[in-house]
Amino acid sequence: MKRFSLIFFLAVIMTILSACGDKEDADTVVLRVCNWEEYIDEGGWDDDELIELENGRNIIGENAMYHDFEEWYYETYGIKVKVEYSCAGTNEDLYNQLTLGDVFDLVCPSDYMIMKLMAEDKLVKFSPAFFDIEDEENYYSRGVSPYIRKIFDENEIDGESWGEYSAGYMWGTTGIVYNPEEITRTQASNWELLRDSSYKRRVTIKDNVRDAYFSALAVYKRDKLLSAEFVEREDYRQALAKEMNDTSDDTISAVEEILRDMKENAYSFETDSGKADMVTGKVLANYQWSGDAVYTIEQASEDDVELYYEVPSECGNLWFDGWVMLKAGLKEDARKQHAAEAFINFVSMPENVVRNMYYIGYTSVIAGCDDTTVFDYADWYFGADDNEEETIDYDVSYFFGEEDEVDGSYVITAVPEQQYGALGAQYPSLDIIRRCAVMGYFDDETYEKINNMWINVRCFDLKSLF
Amino acid sequence: MKIYFSRKNLCIPYALFLVLFVIAPVLVVLYYAFTNGEGQFTLENLVGFFTSANTIGTLIYSMAVAFVVTVLCLVIAYPVAYILSKSRIKRRNGLLILFIIPMWINFTLRVTALKEVLSAIEGNLAYYPFINTVIGQTYDFLPFMILPIYTTLIKLDKDLEEAASDLGANDFRTFLKVTLPLSMPGVISGIMMVFLPAMTNYVILDILYNSTYIMGSLIGSYFSAYNWHTGSMISIVLFAIVFAATLITNKYTDIDNAADRGAML
Repeated sequence: MKRFSLIFFLAVIMTILSACGDKEDADTVVLRVCNWEEYIDEGGWDDDELIELENGRNIIGENAMYHDFEEWYYETYGIKVKVEYSCAGTNEDLYNQLTLGDVFDLVCPSDYMIMKLMAEDKLVKFSPAFFDIEDEENYYSRGVSPYIRKIFDENEIDGESWGEYSAGYMWGTTGIVYNPEEITRTQASNWELLRDSSYKRRVTIKDNVRDAYFSALAVYKRDKLLSAEFVEREDYRQALAKEMNDTSDDTISAVEEILRDMKENAYSFETDSGKADMVTGKVLANYQWSGDAVYTIEQASEDDVELYYEVPSECGNLWFDGWVMLKAGLKEDARKQHAAEAFINFVSMPENVVRNMYYIGYTSVIAGCDDTTVFDYADWYFGADDNEEETIDYDVSYFFGEEDEVDGSYVITAVPEQQYGALGAQYPSLDIIRRCAVMGYFDDETYEKINNMWINVRCFDLKSLF
Repeated sequence: MKIYFSRKNLCIPYALFLVLFVIAPVLVVLYYAFTNGEGQFTLENLVGFFTSANTIGTLIYSMAVAFVVTVLCLVIAYPVAYILSKSRIKRRNGLLILFIIPMWINFTLRVTALKEVLSAIEGNLAYYPFINTVIGQTYDFLPFMILPIYTTLIKLDKDLEEAASDLGANDFRTFLKVTLPLSMPGVISGIMMVFLPAMTNYVILDILYNSTYIMGSLIGSYFSAYNWHTGSMISIVLFAIVFAATLITNKYTDIDNAADRGAML
């Protein structure tokens, strides 16, 4: 009898557990999406946050975007879809989750993790229909900035371009947020600032091996990267990318020494606290991603503190986060793949792009092309008031236009400070973006070497005791 | 049909919890600690722990932090717990709540506030990393030291103290010879609750000031490099250290109890 009651107890638990999962009927497509935290519009805006654009669009986020997608998908394709939305903290966490058996259909890793997943043959190619720009609903292919599309098409892993496997979501640069009252633009335009002892304990560095490695590498190669001979090379961008992906043993040990200097000099290695430390004035300069730089600059301006953002002259890191579909999740289910591709198109819809950019502060890869919504939003957000006396013309046509050059077709008229502030961080000028390089993924062996170097830097040094 | 409900069944939820969230994860960690990338058994990770200057350096640094934190907590917490236990019953609960209230506020918020206060006092936190780590952790772990000592002190038989003074011991001697030895179980469980978290809780460090790894951050950095094996081995060694410490202290408290019984006779 006792045994019976135990079995009964377990049975009750099992019923409760299984009841939670089994409510959906068979027609519904379940799409498991994993994204970064705070990286999509979750809705719930106040009424006064309504964005009224020049082209007549009024945009406001009421519901979480993935719920809006379910509604839109049913209206457009007549198929019920249920989005199971979850979040990961870092690319490494996401990768660990995938290897430990969590199954997702659509995830949004950063450039190097996309490359790693591609190299490990874990991704599904987009269907040809996804690239058909005749189809009205293909917002991604129709709307992605040609500049970004080119980068996605030109970069290859094992002979296949990224563009076939991944669709961009947000992009940006890395650089230095600084307080212009204490640090000049020239100083901030030099990665050397991070180990400059005149700012001892007044600068912060990113607490992850890749970003830290990148800045130290730029310091190590500074003379070469800035030499006229190098900058004027015809294949400057390829050569730059090659230099910034140098992982030879000599380079790694040189980088280790530079990182030790930086550790001695820095206030802290941080992932999140740097933003607040910058606003409260604890530190004067902060190694930052462009999207967080926008956030920091805006938070500070609410407290009447002016902060600027600069991509150092040696080189900045050009990064992307992009959507990829996973083999382990889709399992060749065409309905799922269709829903996954539609999800990418839905978040690439111009009004949704604006919602996301407003909500999270990062820059979307979508330019809008025949739709001016995204540009109008940038103009609405960064443009100067009519009564401003001094303004500059900030040309972003390399991003919004067809060619990767500035031809005056897309110009934001803004107050001069904006070019060094939030606008410059959100849409870097063409000059800046030319000196940015994509940092590729390290293969397992190299990554272990670099990570051991990083742990050496970060651990308490026994020798300092003696 | 009638369903029996014996009292034993009450432990089912906890047993389930124990198996799912305590025993199973420890087994997984053990598996990773003693295997290599190919899933073969190896002792390399164990050897690696004791031969790597990084792990040993971090272990020493973390132990130094944890030791100072534990001593500081003890020095602050014991008098507080003692005063609390001696105060009148009516006032006691109010006072106790004063010490527990900070625990109702999320600790990240508390540590962030502490950071502002310390910055106002010191100017720049980063110049005193060790001291600030100690202050931050002491601040956060103090209630975990106060509560066990307080609960032991409050349960102490008042007659024993009265007996001691009847027999001619002054207050100080009574405290030294009767109260202190009898409150040792509380002190020990307080130490257990403070020492290990102080070695591994790197979140406080991350919020306050973060440049030198403690054990927790070291484990984390191996995990984010997909190196489960080294990270797991570090966890296992820490686990072994704590386990050994518990065994030793248990023995100590057993002797203590035996002495009690002797005194009773």
